[in-house]
Amino acid sequence: MSNTQEVPYGTLDLLILKTLETMGTLHGYAIARRIEQVSGDSLQLSQGSVYPALIRLQQEGWIETEWGISETNRKVKFYALTKAGRKQLLLEVANWEKATALVGRFLKASR
Amino acid sequence: MSPRRAVASVLASMNKRRLDRELEDEIRAHLELAERDAVARGLSREEAHREARLSFGGIEGMKEEHRDHRGFRWIETLLRDFRYGLASLLRSPGFTAVVVGVLALGIGGTVAMFSVVDAVLLKPLPFPEPDRIVRVWEAPRPGVVDSTTVPQFLAWKRLATVFDALAAEQPVQAALNDKSGPTRIPGKAVTAEYFKVFATGAKISRTFTSEDDQPGAAPVIIISHAAWQTYFGSDPGILSRRVRLDGEAYQVIGVLQPGAFDRDETQFWKPLVFVPDQVSSEMHWLTVYGRLQADATLNQARERMQAINAALAETAPMEDRDGTIVIESLKRLLVGANLDRSISVAFGAVFLLLLIACANVANLLFAQGATRRTELAIRAALGAGRGRLVAQLLTESFALCVLGGVAGVATAYLLIRLATPFLSQSLPFTADVSLNLRVLAFAATVVLGVVLLAGAFPALQASFGNLTESLKRSARGSSGADVRVRRTIVIGEVALSLVLVCGAFLLARSLLKLQQLDPGVRIDNVISVSADLPIGAYPTPQKAALFYEALMQRLQSAPGVARAGLSTYLPLEWVSNGEGIQVAGAEQQVHVRFKRVDAGYFRTLDIPVLNGRGITARDREGSPKVVVINQALAKQLADVTGMGSPVGKVVRLSSADYENQPLLLDVQIVGIIRSERTASPGEPDPAVVYVPLAQAPNPHIKLLVRTQEGDAAIMPTIRAAVREIDPNLPLGDIATMQQIRDRTLSGVSRPAWLIGAFAFVAVLLAAIGLYGVVSYSVTQQRQELGIRMALGAKPGDVLSHVLRGALAMVAVGLVFGLVGVFALTRVMTNLLFEVSPLDPLAIAIACVSMTLIGLFAGLLPANRAARLDPIATLRDAG
Repeated sequence: MSNTQEVPYGTLDLLILKTLETMGTLHGYAIARRIEQVSGDSLQLSQGSVYPALIRLQQEGWIETEWGISETNRKVKFYALTKAGRKQLLLEVANWEKATALVGRFLKASR
Repeated sequence: MSPRRAVASVLASMNKRRLDRELEDEIRAHLELAERDAVARGLSREEAHREARLSFGGIEGMKEEHRDHRGFRWIETLLRDFRYGLASLLRSPGFTAVVVGVLALGIGGTVAMFSVVDAVLLKPLPFPEPDRIVRVWEAPRPGVVDSTTVPQFLAWKRLATVFDALAAEQPVQAALNDKSGPTRIPGKAVTAEYFKVFATGAKISRTFTSEDDQPGAAPVIIISHAAWQTYFGSDPGILSRRVRLDGEAYQVIGVLQPGAFDRDETQFWKPLVFVPDQVSSEMHWLTVYGRLQADATLNQARERMQAINAALAETAPMEDRDGTIVIESLKRLLVGANLDRSISVAFGAVFLLLLIACANVANLLFAQGATRRTELAIRAALGAGRGRLVAQLLTESFALCVLGGVAGVATAYLLIRLATPFLSQSLPFTADVSLNLRVLAFAATVVLGVVLLAGAFPALQASFGNLTESLKRSARGSSGADVRVRRTIVIGEVALSLVLVCGAFLLARSLLKLQQLDPGVRIDNVISVSADLPIGAYPTPQKAALFYEALMQRLQSAPGVARAGLSTYLPLEWVSNGEGIQVAGAEQQVHVRFKRVDAGYFRTLDIPVLNGRGITARDREGSPKVVVINQALAKQLADVTGMGSPVGKVVRLSSADYENQPLLLDVQIVGIIRSERTASPGEPDPAVVYVPLAQAPNPHIKLLVRTQEGDAAIMPTIRAAVREIDPNLPLGDIATMQQIRDRTLSGVSRPAWLIGAFAFVAVLLAAIGLYGVVSYSVTQQRQELGIRMALGAKPGDVLSHVLRGALAMVAVGLVFGLVGVFALTRVMTNLLFEVSPLDPLAIAIACVSMTLIGLFAGLLPANRAARLDPIATLRDAG
C-alpha cells in the first residue's frame, strides 16, 4: 500500500471503471498506462496497484475477464465492463459529484 | 461486503493455487509490455527492465494485497492445515483407522439413537394439526379399562360440540383371497368421521361419508396405500374391482394417501354400522377418537365432556354412574411413560458410550501428540505462535473427527436399516425413523463436540509444555504430566464403563426374573395359529361349532400332535373386558374378562383345576350352560357376595353372541382353575370367566397345539387338517408360545439387549484405553525396570509391579464409577422387574468383570516388561 495516498481515497475503482467505459476491453497494463496518461503528471500511481482493485471489481461482478492475445502476441488477461459495472459507474460518478459539490460548497461557505 | 463478493471470496480462498498462478502470469505480461514500451522510447534493455519494475511498484506487497482483497485469509490457513492434517493422518493409517473406527462406533450409535428420539419424541405426529387429535374414554374402574359403550358414544356425538369430528373404531380381521391363496389381513371397522379425525385424505377417490355407516348401506372398504401396492399391484382400476373379504364382495371406494397409515398393521377400513341391539347395549367395546375444534383446548374439552357425563348419569346403568370421562392427546397416548423412559435410558447409555469413545480418542491423540513434540518444538523455534500451533492441532483433530463423523453417519444409517424391523414393533406406527436434516444437524453438533472434547486437551497439552525443553530431550521425552492426564482419562473411562455395565447387569437380572416368572401355563412345545371364520361361510354358531369339532377330531388323531385346544384369546395375552357377572341378590355386577375355550384348552396348557371340574366335551349346545372361573374371580365373588365356594352357584353373565350382539345368560359355575397370566408382569391377575366354546361359538379363534417332538414341523399337519375341512380358510399369526411369551416381555427385554450391547462396546473401549496407557507407561519405564532387574528384581516382581499400576487405575475408576451408579441407575427403577437399582449382586458382578478386564488389559504389557533384557535396555538408554 505504498503510494495510495497519491490516488484520492476510493477513487481508483472509479478511474478503472471509467477507463474501461471509454476504451472498451483492455488488459491490466493498458489500464494502468491509460490512467497515468489521462492524469498527466499529476498522479503518481504504482501500476501494480490496479490488480488488487481489478480482482475486487471482478468479484463484485462489475467487470469480466477473459484470457486473450495482446497486440504483441502475448497471452494476457483482458478486462471489460459488465452491465452491472455500467450501472455502478453511473452511481459512483453521481456519488463523486455529490461529494465534491458538497465539499466545494462547504469550503466556499466557511471562507 | 456484498453477499456476491463474500461467495466469490470463499471460492477464491479454495482456489488459491490457481489464482496465484494467474496473477504471476499477469504480472509477467505486464512487465514485458512495459519493458517493450520503454525500449520503444529509446531506453536500453537494462534501463527498460529497471524502469518497468520501478513504475510497477512492490511486487510481493501487491501480491499480498491481491490475496487480502480477493479472499479470506483464515479459510486459506484452515484449508492448508486441513490438507496437512489429512496428509499426516494418511502417514499413520493404523492410528487413523483405530480412531475413525472408535468414533464411528460412538457417533454412529448416538446418531442412530437420536433418530429414534427424533421420530418418537420430537417430530409432530404425521397428521395435519396433530395436537387436535385426542382419545376419549371413561376413566378406568374395576373391570372397565378403556372402551366405551355404543349409547355413550352416540350421546357424545350428539351432545359434544367441542369436537369437529368424533369416531369409534373396532379392530377386525378378514380373509382376503388372492393368487397365493387365502391371507388373513387386519383391518378396522370405523364410523364415518374416522378419517376426518386424522385429517387423512384419499389418493384415489374418497374416504367415508356420513351415508356409509348407516344401516343398510352398501358394503364398502377403503384400503391403505401399502395394501393397494401389496395386494392389488397398485392397480389404477381398483375402484371397479370387487374385493372378496371373508367370501363377501366389497366395493373399494378409496385408497388412502401414502403416509403414516402405511406403517400401521391395519390394511383396510370398513364402516362400523351399529345394529339396534348394539345401540342399547351396555357393553364396553369401542375405542373413540376425536378432533378438537380449532380453538378448543384439552382442558375445555375435559370440562365440557364432564358436564355432558353428569347430564347422562341419570339414565346410565348403576355401575356407570360414578364414571368420569378422560380426554388425552393422541401423542401422549402413543408415547407412553414407559416408552419415553426406555428411549431416554437407551439414549443416556449411548451417550455414555460416546463419552467413552471421546476419552479413548483423546487418549490416542495424547499418545500421538507426545511423539510429535519434536516437530512442534521446531515449528515454535522457527516462530510459529502458540495459538497457531493449537489451531493446527485442532484442525488435525477436526479432520480426524470429520472422517469419524462420516463413518459414524454411515454406521447410523446401517444400524437404522438393520434395526427398523425390530424397532417398528416397539414404536408407535406414527414414528418414522430416518436420517433427516435434524438428525444430520445433530450429527454435526456431536462431531464438533467430539473435536472440542477429544481434540482440545491434547492440542493444548502438546503446545503448552515447555517446547524448547522437549526439543532438548528430543524423542525420548514425555513428561510426567502427560502420563497423569492420560491416567485420568482412563480412570474416567473405567468409571463410565462401570455405570453402563452395571445398568446392563441390572437389566439382565430383571430379564432373568421375568423369564423365571411362572406364567401359570406350560408353554414348551406349544404352537399357536389363529383363524377367523367368515360370517358368509359360517352364518350360524352351529356351523362354527361343527367346524371346531371336526378340526379337533382330526388334530387329536394326527401324528405328532400330543394335545390340541381352542380359545378366543391366547394365553399370556390380554383378554377383552367389559362383561359382567350378576350374582342374585348382589346390587352390583362383578366386571370380568371373558374367554371362550374348548375341552382341550386347560389340558393342552396344563392348567390345573383346583375345585369342581374343567370344561368337557359334554358341555355342548343343548346341555346345561356352564362356566369355569379362575382363582382371582372366585376370590372376588367371595368378597362381593360373601358366599363360600362359588362352585355350583348360578349367576347371570352378560356377554355377546356369535355376531357380537349383547346377550344375557344364566350359567352355573362348575369349576375353579388356577389363574393363568393374562396381565403384564407385576400386575395382579384379572378376574376371568371361561365359557365352553361349543355352547357359545365365536368366529375368531386361536388354535393351540402341543407337539410331541417340539418344533414347527407340525405346521403342514395343521394346515392339512384345516384344508380338509375348509380349503378357503386362511391361517395366520403362527407362533410358538415361547415367541408369544417373548413378545409380551419385549417391552422390557429390548432395552436390556440394547444397553447390553452398548455396555459390551464400552468395556471393549475401556480395555483398549487401559491397554494403551499401561503399555505406554511400560515403554516409559523401560530404563527404571531395567535397573531394577539388574539389581536383582525377578520377572515376577516386574510383572506384579506393572499389574499393580494398572489395577490401581481400575480401582480408582471403580470408586468414581460406583458414585455414578448410585446416582444414575435410579432412573432405571421403572424398567426393572423385582430388581433393586442398587442390586448388590449386579454391582458386584460389574465390579469384578471390570477388574478382570483391567487385569487382562494390563497383562500383555506387563508380560512384555517382565521379559525385558536389562542389559539391552540399559545400553539403549545410555
